[in-house]
Amino acid sequence: MKKQLWLLLLVLTLIIAGCSGGETNSTEGEEPVETSDSKTLVIANGTDIVTFDIHDHNTTSTEAVHVNMFNYLVTNQGEEGFQADLAESWENIDDTTWSFKLKEGVTFHNGEELTADDVKFTLERVAKDDTLLEHGNYNQIEAVNVISDYEFEIVTANPEPALLNRLSRLGSAILPQEYIETEGWEVFLENPVGTGPYKFMDWQRDDRLTLEANTEYFGDAPKWEELVFRSIPEDSTRVSELLTGGVDVAVNIPPTDVARINETEGVTTVQSPTQRVMMLVLRTDDDSVTGDPLVREAIDLAIDKQAMVDSLLEGAGTVTRTRVTPGNVGANEDLYGESLYDPERARELLAEAGYPDGFELTLTGPNGRYLKDRETVELIAAMLSEVGITVNQELIEWSAFNQRYQERDFAEMFYIGYGNSMFDASLALDRLTIENAEGETDYDNQQVNDLLLAAEQNMDEEERAQQYQEAQEIIAEDRPQIYMFQLDAITGINERLEFEPLLNEMFYADSITLK
Amino acid sequence: MKYLVQSMIKTIPVLLLITLIVFLLIRVTGDPVSLMLPETATEEERDSLRESMGLNEPLPIQYFSYLGDLVTGDFGDSFRYNTDALSLVLERLPATFELAIASMIVAIIISVPLGILSAVKRNSFFDLFITGGAVLGKAMPNFWLGIMLILFLSVTFQIFPVSGRGTLGHLVLPAITLGTGIAAEMTRLIRSSMLEILEQDFIRTARSKGLRESIIVNKHAFRNALIPVVTIMALQTATLVGGTLITETVFAWPGLGQLLVQSVNLRDMAVVQAATFIIAIFVILSNLLADLIYRFLDPRIKYE
Repeated sequence: MKKQLWLLLLVLTLIIAGCSGGETNSTEGEEPVETSDSKTLVIANGTDIVTFDIHDHNTTSTEAVHVNMFNYLVTNQGEEGFQADLAESWENIDDTTWSFKLKEGVTFHNGEELTADDVKFTLERVAKDDTLLEHGNYNQIEAVNVISDYEFEIVTANPEPALLNRLSRLGSAILPQEYIETEGWEVFLENPVGTGPYKFMDWQRDDRLTLEANTEYFGDAPKWEELVFRSIPEDSTRVSELLTGGVDVAVNIPPTDVARINETEGVTTVQSPTQRVMMLVLRTDDDSVTGDPLVREAIDLAIDKQAMVDSLLEGAGTVTRTRVTPGNVGANEDLYGESLYDPERARELLAEAGYPDGFELTLTGPNGRYLKDRETVELIAAMLSEVGITVNQELIEWSAFNQRYQERDFAEMFYIGYGNSMFDASLALDRLTIENAEGETDYDNQQVNDLLLAAEQNMDEEERAQQYQEAQEIIAEDRPQIYMFQLDAITGINERLEFEPLLNEMFYADSITLK
Repeated sequence: MKYLVQSMIKTIPVLLLITLIVFLLIRVTGDPVSLMLPETATEEERDSLRESMGLNEPLPIQYFSYLGDLVTGDFGDSFRYNTDALSLVLERLPATFELAIASMIVAIIISVPLGILSAVKRNSFFDLFITGGAVLGKAMPNFWLGIMLILFLSVTFQIFPVSGRGTLGHLVLPAITLGTGIAAEMTRLIRSSMLEILEQDFIRTARSKGLRESIIVNKHAFRNALIPVVTIMALQTATLVGGTLITETVFAWPGLGQLLVQSVNLRDMAVVQAATFIIAIFVILSNLLADLIYRFLDPRIKYE
């Protein structure tokens, strides 16, 4: 009996070991080699792409994949301005008309040639269909008039100085009209066709999307034979894949894993700024305690933002006194990279404002929406209590938070982070005009209001940027919003690669090269 | 046959109740529009999206229109993927089945020999070790075990791939993660079932006949001890589904569990409703199967 049992156990153990042993060899032999030798680039994202309908999503991580399959008319190079992509040249004819000339000989992956009709089809779809998620960013376009096969004009309803910003972001890719109209959207969504350097091969939802090089690409030849975008939701698993060579690039590395990755041979991390700025939004009306500018200044001075970046984010952020960070049109760089912290002066200001013994206020924040949001709110509350302000913390789940955000139903302060896919100050500051601030901050500064409204439709680039910069200076003094820090993205990469992350968080595969 | 038909009819109110609970829960826990649009979206944009998603109707009307569609097999479209929810769910079933079956195999491989050994060597060092191990196996949370297995067997020793689905190697760690808890449960069950059988008269008779102990244990005792065990195995479906939610997320396994977790996070109502409905059907079916197996193993049981 005893012998039999032991024999049974032995056999079972052998079976298990046999199974795993076989696989061991195959995985050890295959996986790392596959990514280090061949011309395949494997990128691990935290989420899968949501769709190939470029107009019906607003997910940066999805767009980061799309940019390899599709092209925009122009690309936004930040401080270097706009660069030609599908468009060869463009010109602003009058306040509401822009003329464009397309590159000739550009073909879609199915062989169709790109013409102005495709541009009209694509842009008018998103400009007119209000059920599409990107509609709000394109409904300023009134019409696209086709002049010839390669020439067209875009007409906007109002002067639209930020049109090129709109045309170089999420949802701006040009789609093949004939293919979609003859085959239908369903076929397009199953077999998407673009003009980009990589074409669609296979998509296993929530697992992997595979693209292959487009040998007919109109630009420089693609650098990789195959791109694989894997979806790995769990942070620690994504990190483990990077450490074992299963993937070449892993996005959204938690700050706590950075040291471990950097200590491992063959992999490293790169840190780069994103467009998201975290801030406190304060009520400025006379009925609120924060209506007194001295109180708002005291709150600002009582919070040590640099300490938060250093401790909570482990350095993965940059303090700022403006929301319009470098790389955006109208950025005021004098206010970037610095923050104010002087708890002594904060106490004096509170005494001056008539609150020598402090006061109570409510701070609402979302829990689980942003990196370390709960911890940040708790730390802010602790820092404010040091100068005598008692904070009632209200930490709520995102959709409940968002409900109250829509209803403008917060007490004195709330904590939020805004992105900016337009790369323009207009979107960053539009909640601070008198009309838009109503019920939220009730910020009522005529000068800021005039500057923002004038800049919104000012076609003189230089003057427009100055108007925004001036507005930011006043806002930094008035503090209807107190800016905390700009968040950084941390990306893990295999050391065989050369990679510089972009501010817009796109993954242009051809900008990732072998060393 | 009559019993089968009766059981099937009984499942209808259960399924209806499940649709109602899931329908209400997913709606009271948050607004999908707020998760789909960025912070900077205007009120008009939100309203028009809510309208196009049919979320402006009163809840009872939404529910009855959902039920109406359900009868025709239409679960609605996923907000996230903009495609038919049911086909998304069905597309994921093979991956989840693969993982569930592998986990069951792992659980059987671990629990059968250990359970028998533990009962035969009652109160010995082995028994103590095995029952202690079973408590530990049951107590370990899936996500923790999964991450530890990745750290040791994938990162440190590089024996298995970290995540994803593909080769048989990819299946090993998620199957162990999901199978361990079930193995622990089954080990304890086999042990107690075996102990009960070993005390019975027919075993004593077999011993007095001078039969070899191995024959007594394997032929007489184990077969009889198997009846409750097989039933419990069929009833483990719900545990398995619960486990796949976490295990699939940890191992980036593209199955139903991962789809459900992500759909709940984004309040993708149609997918959550379709997935829970399909899962409910499987749980009900496996319970029914358990009843039938019971009857098959023990002909004394009759269902009227």
